[in-house]
Amino acid sequence: MRYALLIYENEDLYRAGDGRAMDDIIAAHQALAGELAAAGVLQGGSGLKTVDTATTVRKTGGQHALHDGPYAEAREQLGGFYLVEVPDLDAALAIAKRIPLAGDGAVEVRPVIDED
Amino acid sequence: MKTLDPGTALEGAAREAGGRIVAALAATFRDLDLAEEAFAEACARAAAIWPTALPLDPAAWLYVTARRCALDMIRRRTVRRRLTPEAPAPEATAEDVLASDARLIPDERLRLIFVCCHPAVAPEARAALTLRLVCGLSAREIARAFLIAEPALFQRLTRAKKKIAEAGVSFEVPGPDAWPERLAAVLSTLEVAYARAHEDAAGTGTHAGYAREMLDLTAVLAELLPNEPECLAFAALVRFAEARRPARLDAEGAMVPLSEQDPRLWSRPLIAEGEALLRAAARLNRPGPRQLRAALHGVWCARRSLAEPPPWSAALALYDLLLDWREDPFVRLNRAVVLAEVAGPAAGLAEIKKLDAARLDDFQPFHAVQADLLARLGRPDEALAAYDRAIAMAPGAAERLWLIRRRTEL
Repeated sequence: MRYALLIYENEDLYRAGDGRAMDDIIAAHQALAGELAAAGVLQGGSGLKTVDTATTVRKTGGQHALHDGPYAEAREQLGGFYLVEVPDLDAALAIAKRIPLAGDGAVEVRPVIDED
Repeated sequence: MKTLDPGTALEGAAREAGGRIVAALAATFRDLDLAEEAFAEACARAAAIWPTALPLDPAAWLYVTARRCALDMIRRRTVRRRLTPEAPAPEATAEDVLASDARLIPDERLRLIFVCCHPAVAPEARAALTLRLVCGLSAREIARAFLIAEPALFQRLTRAKKKIAEAGVSFEVPGPDAWPERLAAVLSTLEVAYARAHEDAAGTGTHAGYAREMLDLTAVLAELLPNEPECLAFAALVRFAEARRPARLDAEGAMVPLSEQDPRLWSRPLIAEGEALLRAAARLNRPGPRQLRAALHGVWCARRSLAEPPPWSAALALYDLLLDWREDPFVRLNRAVVLAEVAGPAAGLAEIKKLDAARLDDFQPFHAVQADLLARLGRPDEALAAYDRAIAMAPGAAERLWLIRRRTEL
């Protein structure tokens, strides 16, 4: 089965200090992604720029409206995702536990709809 | 072979082997709904066929038939999806004939318990799902035991099964490295389920069936995980607690407190089983809170008659060990009861006054215990008020009768 691992973190953790935290986490992501790719598990994924770069397109009653900012204002924001193919939920959860986080945060594990 | 009437045979086989059959089907087909539906279909066919031809081995017949029904259902689903003509129904295979012995039904109940108690399943659904699928209790029985409406329970079960199917919860028994998390989820689920059965001293209709199921379920766990001391300890605890059931009510139906129960009424075979399990757990040399709880029950069950002094000081020592493990206001309350026997009611009450009253205010024994200690300290007005609080919280009939009697004695 394929799963999306959605990473939610407080972006302030990366803004603080001299950017070292960010560099360390990126290196850790690269190491994990490399390992998952070598195992044939990784199907995709990316980090996302911070929510101050986000634009939201909302459709209400047939009309589109744009606004500056993320879908929802929250302390923790979607900051990136992995797309993996593993046998079952437990395997996906095991990978989710290994995803590097700068501090407190959450990884939501969502099965992907497969076409068949 | 004695003759059985078909209805009784079906009810008996479904109760005896239902859990095993559903578990075996679920493990084979990795689909809880399919397993349940196929088993229900097999029971329906049995009801139609058995009156004219009662099988030699009813459980095996149900298993073979349910398996065939499951295969039919899968075939029909596939056919619907591909829009090709329906294939003929399968014949009984050589495998079916071989499997016509109930001993050959694979025991996949442990696997199913791990699925039902997966941390990805909502905690409030885990016990209900386990009782439904592994123990074969009806939705009505579970709804009554959990004091929720049947439609709400049904919805909870449906949502849990959908989550398991859609999210791809594994049907494998997890490896030992995952046990701290997974086995803990299983044991705490079963503990919640058992606490409900045990709370009810009367053990009337709603709980009797499932208390018996808990004996079976913990036996399965203990047998399949013989190197997990907490698992063995929980199985021991259920035996110690169930052993005392015959002594928990007096002639008028009022609750009898543990220290006043006549040990001669307790089931010695169950106590012996519990003791053997607890000894096996201790030999593994990995202490844990469930072993301490089981030991607490064990020291009481070692009492042979009311002439022997109650084991207050042993119980006090065990409560202290339990609190070393984890701070818990409910354990502290129980410890205060024991302390009152060892060091006097004033000492017990002083301990209770240190507890977080706001947290325990909704807990009926919190008031009942204080009422008793206040009465013994010669403070009848406060005791009366505390009994009123406890009685107003609508405990079970047996507890209520006991509380009212104590209140009247003031």
